[in-house]
Amino acid sequence: MRRRSFLPVTFLVPTLAILLVLSMVPTLYAIVIALQNRELSTPGYSWVWFSNFADLFLDRRFLNAVWVSVKWEIVTVVATMVVAIGLGVLMFEVAGPRLRNFYCLLFIIPVLLPRVSAAFVWKFAYHPLYGIATYPYRLVTGGLIFDPLSKASTALFAVASVDVWQWGLFFAVIVLKLLETLPPQPIEAARLDHARRWQIHAYVTLPMLKAPLISLMFVKMIESLRSFDLIYVMTRGGPGVATETLDMYAFSQGFIESGKVSYASAMAVLMMIATVITFTMLWKRVQA
Amino acid sequence: MRPHRLAAGLGAAFVLTASVSTAALAQAPVCSAPVKVLAQPRDGLTLLEDSKDEFKKLSGASFQIDYLNENDRRAKSRADASTVGNYNVYYVDEANVALFASSGWIAPLTDYYPAEYDFADFDPGRQKVATYDGKVWFAPLTGGGDLMVYRKDVLQAAGIQPPKTLDELIADVPKLTNADKGMYGIALRGARGSGANVWRWMPFFKAYGGKWFDGDKPAFNSDAAVKATETYLKLFKDSAPGTQTGSWDESTGAFLSGQVAILVESTPLSGMAVDPKTSQVVGEVGFLPPPSPLPGGGYGHGLAIGTKANADDAAKKCAGLFIAWATSKENEKRRLDAHQFGELNRTSILSSKEFADIYGADLGQALAETGKVTAVNFWQDPRWPDLGDRWGIILEELVTGTRTDIKGGLNELEAYANELAKKK
Repeated sequence: MRRRSFLPVTFLVPTLAILLVLSMVPTLYAIVIALQNRELSTPGYSWVWFSNFADLFLDRRFLNAVWVSVKWEIVTVVATMVVAIGLGVLMFEVAGPRLRNFYCLLFIIPVLLPRVSAAFVWKFAYHPLYGIATYPYRLVTGGLIFDPLSKASTALFAVASVDVWQWGLFFAVIVLKLLETLPPQPIEAARLDHARRWQIHAYVTLPMLKAPLISLMFVKMIESLRSFDLIYVMTRGGPGVATETLDMYAFSQGFIESGKVSYASAMAVLMMIATVITFTMLWKRVQA
Repeated sequence: MRPHRLAAGLGAAFVLTASVSTAALAQAPVCSAPVKVLAQPRDGLTLLEDSKDEFKKLSGASFQIDYLNENDRRAKSRADASTVGNYNVYYVDEANVALFASSGWIAPLTDYYPAEYDFADFDPGRQKVATYDGKVWFAPLTGGGDLMVYRKDVLQAAGIQPPKTLDELIADVPKLTNADKGMYGIALRGARGSGANVWRWMPFFKAYGGKWFDGDKPAFNSDAAVKATETYLKLFKDSAPGTQTGSWDESTGAFLSGQVAILVESTPLSGMAVDPKTSQVVGEVGFLPPPSPLPGGGYGHGLAIGTKANADDAAKKCAGLFIAWATSKENEKRRLDAHQFGELNRTSILSSKEFADIYGADLGQALAETGKVTAVNFWQDPRWPDLGDRWGIILEELVTGTRTDIKGGLNELEAYANELAKKK
């Protein structure tokens, strides 16, 4: 008869207990606060139960923030994956081993920059008079002014481009390395069948990389949810509320404008529930 | 030894011990730990850091200043003061002093401000801004009102006299704009915030007779507010690029780099405009009070004693000593010597011969005249940042064109103000 070992339990239980405390205590505290009416400027509070949640659905800034967050997720995730796959395939097809190494090094640099630094660099690059990113427009139009961060129609895309600049290039390196790990035989077979280059990638290599590409997409989706610092530095949610995402609005209500920490917590709780449901559904769909 | 001799000996020993103890106490350092300060970047504070040893010698401890830009400093100090209280000294301003004082996050300053540092020497206007509910809460680091700063050469070339009235300003600004040559009639603040776009909008609101509240009833949803906003948006058509979502830095930066003809801004700009280190338009700048009936926006920023980090009187005394030393005549003289115009607050310095020698008589006269029209334009209440920031967002939407209905925006603000009024 085999003797049962307590070693796994000895190692697992304390670690899991710490993890549970670290993750559950703040979560439960946020839920409790969301059911109260706490404000930073007053020590007293009372239980208002679901009143904060009800108020949220009548708050035009909250509804706007939900829509901006959805747009932000879609734009940044889709653009990042398109840039990553496009550049990865291009490097795989066109560049030799040495050039690939050079590009890889180059493309990793943006993601190594702290978000806040990247945001400041690009904020200045988008300056309507001095910015390098707006210079071509001034050159072509004979000096007309274009201020992408102060227009509601362009501000979100201008900030999203910085996110894609950081993560799209980094993911391109990962896609290239994934392509390099594929067995050469299926690609050779497709070439013998006179498949064009784009057909080889569309029907052979990328389907073979479906699982890691989906994982990359999930990583980006989670990362995009945490873009507070980038948006805060570049636009502070403006112009008006055009780039105000849910996390930014929650922070604004909790600490900048009103000190309504309970109201902000209610938003955080709703965000948590929405994220868990969305990711679970997507994950199940992908698994199927 | 005889008993009386023993008693005398013991008495003498007691007196000696007591004297030594008193002497030791007299020399005991006021501070037992470094003073932690949360502030926003100021040239005066950066200069202060060069004299850390002087404060250490005076108090027995050093100090550490953490800097955050204005909006972040406001958010962080509010969060810190209401929760953990990590900082001994907070940088507060006219917009949040009522909130900090009424919430008990800061202590009355003059209770812990050593008399020899002469608080009464501060400019009376700044003392007024530092006072809430009859008590003084901070010692000023900067403050003042508004000045109209203009380009003499640009106005002369256009054949325009410096505007003396608001109507003249509205008429002149479009004439001074020449976008092809990179010249704009004015620069305003578009970025959200009670201390940003709302700050520059308020003089128009007051000039048209607007008021915030009548008792606890909101009174700002008025013709005055609509007219003030229309005027602000009209002027914004000739405001320098980058100011639509910019604030003080963007508008003054545009003026100092030579792109703006007229600017009505807070008084520190005037010192920057005549300093070759910060200005490309030195020698071309004139100063006047804001065009009538625009009142100047009276303001003041300064240092206050935190209550949570300074739990006992000894800690509060230490923080009080730091604030007194940081805002002392000696340190203000150092700022004058370093040509830090915006960091000067004491009457003895502002009226000194050295000040007149550095900045000239014109500026001195303009400052004296603008003092007469400087007013407190904001609602002096703890709920002001909340209301002001809410209007700041609506105003930013109007400036950037993401909304166009001024009346609708004011209705929305009024609904919010009614909620705030119920909270009192």
